[in-house]
Amino acid sequence: MPLTEQDTAQLRAALQEAVVKCSERCLYQSAKWAAELLTSIPPTDEASEPEDSQMTEIPPDGLPPIVVTGNLDPEEAQLEAKEINQYLLAKSFFDCREFDRCAAVFLPDTVLSGILSSTSTRGPENATATTPKGKGKARVSSGRSASKLAPILPKLSQKSIFLALYAKYMSGEKKKDEDSEMVMGPHDGGNTTNKQLVTISRFLENWFREHTTEAGEVVGSQGWLEYLYGMVLTKDKNEEEAMRWLIRSVHLYPWNWGCWLEMTSLIGRVEDLNRISPHLPQNIVSFFFHLHTSLELYQSTPNLSNSLDQLLSIFPTSPFLLTCLALLAYHIKDFLAADAHFSNLLALHPHRLDSLDHYSNILYVMNLRPKLSFLAHLCSTVDKFRPESCVVIGNYYSLLSSHEKAVQYFRRALTLDRSCLSAWTLMGHEYVELKNTHAAIESYRRAVDVNRRDYRAWYGLGQTYEVLEMHAYALWYYKRAAGLRPWDGKMWMAVGSCLQKMGRDIEGIKALKRALLADSYYDAGVGSSFGSGGRDKGGAMDPEVLLQIAGMYERMEDMGEAKLTWRYSQSSDDESRPTGGGTSGDTGTGVTAATSKARMWLAKFAMRMGDYTRAMQLATELCQDGVEVEEAKALVREVRVRLEIGGGDA
Amino acid sequence: MTRFLTPSKIGLLALIELYTEAAVPVTSTIPILSFVLNQLLPSTIKSQSRSSNSSSLESLPFLLDLHAFETLLAAHSSAAGLPGRTLWDKFLQKLWGIDSLNALHEFFANRAFLLAKSPEEMKKDGEMGIPPPSQDMILLSRTSPFGGFIRRAKVEFDRLRFSDALALWISFAKWRQESKVYCIRRNGALGRWAGDRALEDGEEEWGPEATEMLELVAYGNDLDGVDDGAVSTDDVEKLLEFQVEQMQKFGNRIPYEVRDKFKGILEGGVTVPSLSHYQNFLDAWRAGDYPTSFDNLHRYFDYTMQNRDRLFYQYALMNLAVLQADFGCFEEAVAAMLETVSTARENKDMACLNFALNWLYHFGKAHPKFIRGSESTNMLGVEREGLVFLRTKAKETGMWTLWSSSLLSEAKLGMSSGESIATAFENMVKSSQLIVERNMKSMMGPQMAMSSSLWGRLGVSHLSKEYCEVFLGCHARYALFDDTLRFSCRIAQFLAEKGQYDEAMKRLESMDENSLRSWKANQYWLKYRGILRLKRDLHRNNLDGADQLLSQLLQSSGVDADPDLGFEINILHIDYLIRRTDFSRALAKIENLASAMKEEGDDIALRVKLLVLKAGLQDKSGRPQKGFSVAVRAASIAWRARLIPLLWAAMGAIANILNSLSEFQAAAQILVAIIPRALECETFSMNAQLYSYLVDAHMGLAGKADAGSLKRKENLTRCLEFIDRAFDEYSALEDIKGQCEMMAKKATIMKVVGEPVLANDYASKYLDLKKEAALAQA
Repeated sequence: MPLTEQDTAQLRAALQEAVVKCSERCLYQSAKWAAELLTSIPPTDEASEPEDSQMTEIPPDGLPPIVVTGNLDPEEAQLEAKEINQYLLAKSFFDCREFDRCAAVFLPDTVLSGILSSTSTRGPENATATTPKGKGKARVSSGRSASKLAPILPKLSQKSIFLALYAKYMSGEKKKDEDSEMVMGPHDGGNTTNKQLVTISRFLENWFREHTTEAGEVVGSQGWLEYLYGMVLTKDKNEEEAMRWLIRSVHLYPWNWGCWLEMTSLIGRVEDLNRISPHLPQNIVSFFFHLHTSLELYQSTPNLSNSLDQLLSIFPTSPFLLTCLALLAYHIKDFLAADAHFSNLLALHPHRLDSLDHYSNILYVMNLRPKLSFLAHLCSTVDKFRPESCVVIGNYYSLLSSHEKAVQYFRRALTLDRSCLSAWTLMGHEYVELKNTHAAIESYRRAVDVNRRDYRAWYGLGQTYEVLEMHAYALWYYKRAAGLRPWDGKMWMAVGSCLQKMGRDIEGIKALKRALLADSYYDAGVGSSFGSGGRDKGGAMDPEVLLQIAGMYERMEDMGEAKLTWRYSQSSDDESRPTGGGTSGDTGTGVTAATSKARMWLAKFAMRMGDYTRAMQLATELCQDGVEVEEAKALVREVRVRLEIGGGDA
Repeated sequence: MTRFLTPSKIGLLALIELYTEAAVPVTSTIPILSFVLNQLLPSTIKSQSRSSNSSSLESLPFLLDLHAFETLLAAHSSAAGLPGRTLWDKFLQKLWGIDSLNALHEFFANRAFLLAKSPEEMKKDGEMGIPPPSQDMILLSRTSPFGGFIRRAKVEFDRLRFSDALALWISFAKWRQESKVYCIRRNGALGRWAGDRALEDGEEEWGPEATEMLELVAYGNDLDGVDDGAVSTDDVEKLLEFQVEQMQKFGNRIPYEVRDKFKGILEGGVTVPSLSHYQNFLDAWRAGDYPTSFDNLHRYFDYTMQNRDRLFYQYALMNLAVLQADFGCFEEAVAAMLETVSTARENKDMACLNFALNWLYHFGKAHPKFIRGSESTNMLGVEREGLVFLRTKAKETGMWTLWSSSLLSEAKLGMSSGESIATAFENMVKSSQLIVERNMKSMMGPQMAMSSSLWGRLGVSHLSKEYCEVFLGCHARYALFDDTLRFSCRIAQFLAEKGQYDEAMKRLESMDENSLRSWKANQYWLKYRGILRLKRDLHRNNLDGADQLLSQLLQSSGVDADPDLGFEINILHIDYLIRRTDFSRALAKIENLASAMKEEGDDIALRVKLLVLKAGLQDKSGRPQKGFSVAVRAASIAWRARLIPLLWAAMGAIANILNSLSEFQAAAQILVAIIPRALECETFSMNAQLYSYLVDAHMGLAGKADAGSLKRKENLTRCLEFIDRAFDEYSALEDIKGQCEMMAKKATIMKVVGEPVLANDYASKYLDLKKEAALAQA
């Protein structure tokens, strides 16, 4: 996706504006995201412009006003100009985290309470007038006497309204945090709500009603209020409606990354994403969104990596994209590559803590203790009161098997940010380690409540119920996990073994076979990313799984299938056998307990069938393997006796 | 500031590991073990078993740096590994083996392997198939000092929060940084990023610049800088305990440099151990800073209240009382101490109770006025009964110090009321036995002081002085500075009595300067120097100078002044008045003192001294007979109480009276009898006085004999001889007046003998002396 010089300049201007606009509205994370992206555009090195090219973007009449941007809409601009003083006051209140006070600058409590009471008095009317979707929150069809019934809204610019309502929202969030109990404490049900939501939604409802034309168009709206409305609706679990408003918002102003993130959080499945894509505006941010959401949904198609590469060519050093790259590798279980990407990212942005918790997960899985300790060291030095840092430290302690400490740090992460998904899941893992199944289930549940796409939490739930021998429950959760990660063999394996334990052999066999298939799929993926690496064992199958399948067939007394499977299982080390010790590690899995078991079974089976020579051969092989030698020898002896008897008879 | 772990403790752990790996050759085992133990054992145990070869250990810095390890280890070769490698190399190898935060965690996790396993663990291991450790390893018992240290270190590390563990790691990295150059030279294998594996591994990937940036982010920018975070609360507490103990033992203040260091350390940490308030209290107290010491005492007990509940309330009160008394708030002090007594009774804290009662007793002795008002007499009964009570209590509760001090008090009481010397000796011997048996070094001071003063009263001043010297030579190291000061002053007094003023001064000047920063000691010292100079001035007849000194000394003799010094100053004042020939004021002063003493029931020796002075005054005013009854009373009391030097002085006064009654023969007989024994007392002024009385007696005898008779001549010759003796004594004292008097007498005798030339000579000598004195004064 090569861009012309002009395009780049445009992009840059748009990003610059986005940074300022987002920070004007105190959407700090979005501003950060945009600014990171802005600086990752490589400077055009033209000979005529020796100085930093970003400087050349600046119009000749000086720097753009950073504090306040202009507004293209003349009416809005006029209003904004009028309110500039109050705006600055409100902004500084917000910056000082005095949210209520900030809101009161534009919307005094009387106005807000007026809105509440007026809407509640016309309750019945409202009920008749609502669209079938919402329960009093959806918009009233605005044709009728809406303006007469609606309370008088103060005439304010959209920016001020946004800031005031957003401050209200933040104040509600803050209260919510303050009201909620200690993490996982006795009263921590996770059900404290933001009490300001009703007020905000009422206000916005009225505002939109006022500004909507007959055609359903909102006149003069600039997208920010839609975003806020969408956010509020999300919190109210009115997701369809929320999505509609958010899409509307990104159409009006695409550079608000927070809005895209809200949308991501609303999308639970790939199908949803595909359904929504046509409604999205076609621009570069949408592209970002698609990428990010796909990653959140654990997609790892080549298509995805392709589009990522394209984006990287525009923003070669963007930390966000580099993170995506690493996550992509992580999702296809290519830990080495993921580690390399993250490590690279770390070197480029040593102070950046975002998504380092994922890195710590990778290092945890790879058991790279020194590296993980260094990462924890780094995070702790940069900021020890960030949820990410706490998760990294917790992971490190978990690796050291100090699970209590790990729990403590995950808890701290959650205290800092209750929506920290990975902390909930990881805390669940720790509780499992500590044999505290109830706490584990609760934390997993909370993780799932925060984000339904987290397959690890689903899987963890399943595991915990399996430990408690409640297989029906476990199966349900495993199935959810498998649904999220259809190409992950581990999930299917879990489903399969769960079914097996419940005695549903046919389904179990199906699931396990699917696991075998999935494994080979991911392995193939790894192989491709390694290029011509030596790991082309696409056909090899996990003998353990085969063993399980064989066991089930045996139970179903389908001896033919069973034998076939046993043979598969045994053969996975057969391939390496003839070539001898030199290459035994490269192909096949070599002699393992599983293959020996398979061989033993086959030998015994051959015995039963009367195929003594085969049994003899397998038994001697077993003796060579050095596993269960005693039993194998006994078998050999027995075969010999049988053979002798057989010979005698003949 | 961590609670316990510091980089140097990691170093010690590494050293212990070296030892357990049998890397330490047999010959160097002892120095290394004693080095480690010196760090581990609490100072109280160490001080008891001070051996001769530990002097090198004592010079170690408080916070071990790498140099301390290097000097220890570089001298010993390693028993294992490459030849030519010293233990220092092995040690560094271990230290640099800890190459990441994770390695530090592992290091601590592995400490458990150094410990001997309990039988259950062995059994478990056996079941798990883990072989028992090899025989070459030295395994440490769990309860040994090493084992305890290792276990404590492990527990402390486990309870560290991540950020604290991180801080430990960073300070450790800084701590060992200085050995990096050596390591590189020795092994040549250490790269730029040695010490952090993550950085080392990452360099390939990241490139040197990014790595450096990461290092800066991770470690901050002063890895090579001086590290100040290497102190743990444990260290500071140890140090504070030691310092407080030192201060209590010697009564010193904190030396300046130590105080500055403390300040530096305590500023670094968030948690200031409450003991530091106590230390500040002691320091302020010694410095004579009443409000600060008060404030700090309260602060200390406020902070300790939370963890020790009200158990220590009586101690708080006791400290308060002692403090109040020290600053002259006697009423408050008595009230606080009485409260202490009742609280201690309530809490059944016998030790505290006994101490408080003891203190009350001594306080009552020193300030009878204040104790009288309160009902404390009921508490202790009559003095002697109180002492007996204390003694038996001390015996019951095993408070040896109190026991011995009550014995000494009893001896002192007996002595001051002029009772049997044998009983006093008995008590002292008992106490001495106790002190030696229980090795109470701190009680040595009072014991020696008592012996010294007893011998002084018995007139064996040589022995008395010797006791002082013995104390200063042998026991001063373990005793309060106050004791040292007092003994030094005593010696100075002896010297001054022999006229060796310069030496006496030198004795005082050579006192420890830091200890003299203590306010009370400093006051005492200053006053004593003043007294010495006053004596000298008086003897030299430099009355103006004496006046100046006296006015200062008398001013400071308020309630809080030391009673001994006060009396000494008063005596000198009387002397001054006599020399000024202001006899009426001198008499008034004597009467005043005597009546005050009678009221307070003070030491009998002082009263006798006053009596003798009074007799002397009568003599000076030309009416020696009026002093007869006084002198006789003095003599009889002195005899009964065996106050030998005073007895001789009183007898001298009697002889003088006899002289005035023209009973020359009797006077001469008395004097001839007592002078040899008086000489033993080594009080030159008294000797001179006695000689001059003897001269007078012989002169009288000569006058009684016929002119030109042999007897007269004989007596006159004797006169001359004794005049010379007296003159010698006076000149030793630099007593101008006495010298002149003797010269005048000599000239007169010469005239009588009929040798005008010699008489003239002596007369001119007399004039010379006067002139000299005038010159010296000018």
